[in-house]
Amino acid sequence: MADSPEKRGWIGRIWNAIWTPAVMFSSGFLILSGFLAGIMFWGGFHWTLELTNTEEFCTSCHTMETNLGEYRETIHYNNHSGVRAICSDCHVPHEWNHKIKAKIMAVKDVYHELAGTISTPEKYEAHRLSMASTVWKKMKASDSRECRNCHNFDYMDFTIQEARAASEHQRAIDNSMTCIDCHQGIAHSLPQGYQEEYQKITDALASETTGKLQQQVADGSTEIRSYLTTQSD
Amino acid sequence: MGLPGILGLALGMMTRRLWLGAMMGGLISIVATLLFAHWDFANVATTELLIAIVVGLCAGTLGSAIRIKGATV
Repeated sequence: MADSPEKRGWIGRIWNAIWTPAVMFSSGFLILSGFLAGIMFWGGFHWTLELTNTEEFCTSCHTMETNLGEYRETIHYNNHSGVRAICSDCHVPHEWNHKIKAKIMAVKDVYHELAGTISTPEKYEAHRLSMASTVWKKMKASDSRECRNCHNFDYMDFTIQEARAASEHQRAIDNSMTCIDCHQGIAHSLPQGYQEEYQKITDALASETTGKLQQQVADGSTEIRSYLTTQSD
Repeated sequence: MGLPGILGLALGMMTRRLWLGAMMGGLISIVATLLFAHWDFANVATTELLIAIVVGLCAGTLGSAIRIKGATV
């Protein structure tokens, strides 16, 4: 027989062992060992995931040297208090679902590193606006979620801020603005035409929001008419 | 249980010999304590190490007991 145990290769024998009921182990033993294996797998998974959040990991690729150089000139790298925000603090969400999505999306960075998309200063400059635009769009859409992991309007003491900063932060609160609306280029150099690009992002997101609202109104119009008719009766 | 407990239990479940399970649990507890101390005995407190070894020994023994009770091999 072609599939007799004697003639199977090692892959076939492993496959067979996996799908054969375990007669040597009790259910309790299997549950306990599965639980332990789960703990160790989960711990290892988290540990590995956190390793990919380190500054050393992020800047280990050649193409990240430009970003690193620019970031080292900013207050998020070097400041009077010594509190730092590293790459992952701004680019990787803390919440599990958003974090995993960001990690999956980051696979494209490996592809572009291998493809050499931004491997020279010229190529980097050519892509700077589109890269910045992608990050701004994410930040605007998430209400600058990653900034707010450290910065919070609720705990800002405007009395010890510079007058202009205090005034602008108050304006931001009053107009429901988000951090990235003003703080573009806080960690990396700004590309040419960034203001026009940011305006496009703002307009696009605003039209999406308006479209959704209009759709909601359209979807609920029958119910509203029915309610009004009932009330008038 | 901590790392010595988890790893001690897992290693203990790999053998039916109680003394071997306990020994592996004890050894892994020393390794785990050193791992968290960045591989430097100077950073290890004696009490911390003793507690880890006791936990490792107990977990390893318990692991072997589970193997004796729950498996025929």
